[in-house]
Amino acid sequence: MNFEKVLFAFFIVLALTLNFGFFLGDIDNPAHHDAMELGAALAVSLIATVVKFGDRSQMGAVLLATSLVADLQLAVAAFIWAYAAYAMAGGVDSVIIARVVSLSGGALLANMVSVTLLVAETIIIRR
Amino acid sequence: MNDIVWLTMRRMRTPLIALILVYFCSVFIIASVPGIDPQGAPTRMTYLEAAYFVAIMATTIGFGEIPYPFTDAQRLTAYILLLPNVVAWLYSIGTILGLFLDPQFREVLQRSRFSQRVRGLGDPFFIVCGFGNTGSMVVNGLMHRGLHAVVLEKKAESVQRMFLDERFQRVPGLACNPASRAHLELAGLSAPNCRGVIVTTNDDHANLKISITAKLLRPELTVLARSENRRVSDNMSSFGTDYVVDPYAIFSERLFLALSSPVKYLVQDWLISVPGSTLREALNPPTGRWIVCGAGRFGSRMLEQLRESAMPFTVVDVHPDRLEGFEYGVLGRGTEAATLLEAGIKDAVGIIAGTGDDVDNLSVILTALDLNRNLFVVGRQENQENDQLFDASGAHLVARRSLIVARRILAVATTPLLQTFLQHLVASPPEFAERTAGRLKSVLDGRAPNLWVVDLRGNMADGLRYAREDGVRLKLGHITHNTRSEDAEDLSCVCLVLERGAQRIFLPDADYELLESDRLLFAGRGSARREMLWGLSDANSLLGYATNKQLPRGAIWRWLWRRQRGAQADNSSE
Repeated sequence: MNFEKVLFAFFIVLALTLNFGFFLGDIDNPAHHDAMELGAALAVSLIATVVKFGDRSQMGAVLLATSLVADLQLAVAAFIWAYAAYAMAGGVDSVIIARVVSLSGGALLANMVSVTLLVAETIIIRR
Repeated sequence: MNDIVWLTMRRMRTPLIALILVYFCSVFIIASVPGIDPQGAPTRMTYLEAAYFVAIMATTIGFGEIPYPFTDAQRLTAYILLLPNVVAWLYSIGTILGLFLDPQFREVLQRSRFSQRVRGLGDPFFIVCGFGNTGSMVVNGLMHRGLHAVVLEKKAESVQRMFLDERFQRVPGLACNPASRAHLELAGLSAPNCRGVIVTTNDDHANLKISITAKLLRPELTVLARSENRRVSDNMSSFGTDYVVDPYAIFSERLFLALSSPVKYLVQDWLISVPGSTLREALNPPTGRWIVCGAGRFGSRMLEQLRESAMPFTVVDVHPDRLEGFEYGVLGRGTEAATLLEAGIKDAVGIIAGTGDDVDNLSVILTALDLNRNLFVVGRQENQENDQLFDASGAHLVARRSLIVARRILAVATTPLLQTFLQHLVASPPEFAERTAGRLKSVLDGRAPNLWVVDLRGNMADGLRYAREDGVRLKLGHITHNTRSEDAEDLSCVCLVLERGAQRIFLPDADYELLESDRLLFAGRGSARREMLWGLSDANSLLGYATNKQLPRGAIWRWLWRRQRGAQADNSSE
């Protein structure tokens, strides 16, 4: 067992699970979505990206690209949430929350691709 | 494209002028004739209505009288104008149709389409001059190896046949004289992705001219030419034609190889066979007296090789002058038993049916086998249509001109390293051939191998570069191994040559170190090729296998790992 391998897979999978947790619930109900969870998903996704830096394996480039996509989507979602909470009169209402959750849904898809690639690579390489 | 516009304009000048004149005159006349509206008030057609009416009338569409029913005066005018308008239209349409059917116009059209398709080829391609039996085999082979071809052929029927053939749907072809400079330019001779010119017309003089033109215009381009005449071959070689393929010379050399060293012949045969075809068994031509029927271009080369291998032989030919200078000569065709008996067929070991006529050769083979069942028979076949006949005749070896040329050209054009290897094989002692045969046999499952070249440059050398950074030396054995597997799973392939600058290492061992910009020629199964390319593009598994360790994957970890290793090295040095 290799500690780097464990950590590598841990962050990639954690990014997916946190993302999924935030996405779960009615799309326009602010009570179903937690700001802390979105923040955590963004943070873990960023860490997963950094872990993938400099990967020279066959899948490395695609893995990094999916992570960057997830980062981008989550960052935009977080920005919209923060802007609504602090700068808009209405606060985080159902329209804003629907936007944020749909963006995180996109990130969820990217994270799923990432995990699928990870699993595929593990199956291809038997060493 | 400009040619087409220019030609159309020139041809359409008269009909168009006639049409315009008739049309505008009619519009003016119709517009000036007075009519009446339904209330009976006098009115005149506007110019738009007149133009619309004349257009409808002239094209014989005839929607009727607009805007109101005509007066008699208007009807009379329309009646008079009807004929010149319809005639002017038919004249124009007739001329245009005639233009499309005009051979000159179609040629221009074809040429422009051809040059467009050639310019659209993004990948490397070869210009193939001559699309006969040899040409079509060469083009087919090139396409199988993922290369493109552009065809120039003199006979329009051959090009037409190519267009109808499913395999060659995407090959640009033009029926023209390939020996002209303009046509070669049109076929992309000066294009940067043109890899070379393959000259396979059946006219030696045309071949010579094409080779000279190509060499003069693009000296750095590879030119492979076919020639059946020794004088032309020498001429071609003299101005730097890269490879002159003389089918008779190739065949006689191969027969000589089979006579002198069966194992060399066998290895050579395996390597130039179509990948996936069944491997040929050992061929053991007997030693003793041979009979050669026909001492022409083919026969004389065979005689030379027989003389060189010190075999006794008897020559049979219908031309008395060709028999001069031979110790044993019999005048005759060889197709009749009497001649063959006179030539001593009963105690001969082999016969070469080498006349220029397929039917004669078949007859020689059958008659000879009838007289002596144990003969080793070599037949010369000129026409591809007789494939089955020669297969059924019982000949041990058949010299098929087009096939010999096509295989050799493909081998030289697509894998130049193979040619180097084969030359070395012929020149070196038989132990080398036996070693090669042994290695090949152990990886092949009775089928002819695929050949591929690995060029350790660019992406392909990533693994090498990373290995050097980590202080690891990559060996040949590392890339001929399945790096994805933890079992000792060697790929079914043999490295034939390693080319490093001007240096060439034949059959390098597994622990031979690899360097960047090496080129390697492999022979083996197709699956081995895929696996090898995968391994080369995945530096992580390659290095993981080479060092037998789990190497760090990301940049951060690698940095930590190097620091740690550096610290360890410092500790051990203290």
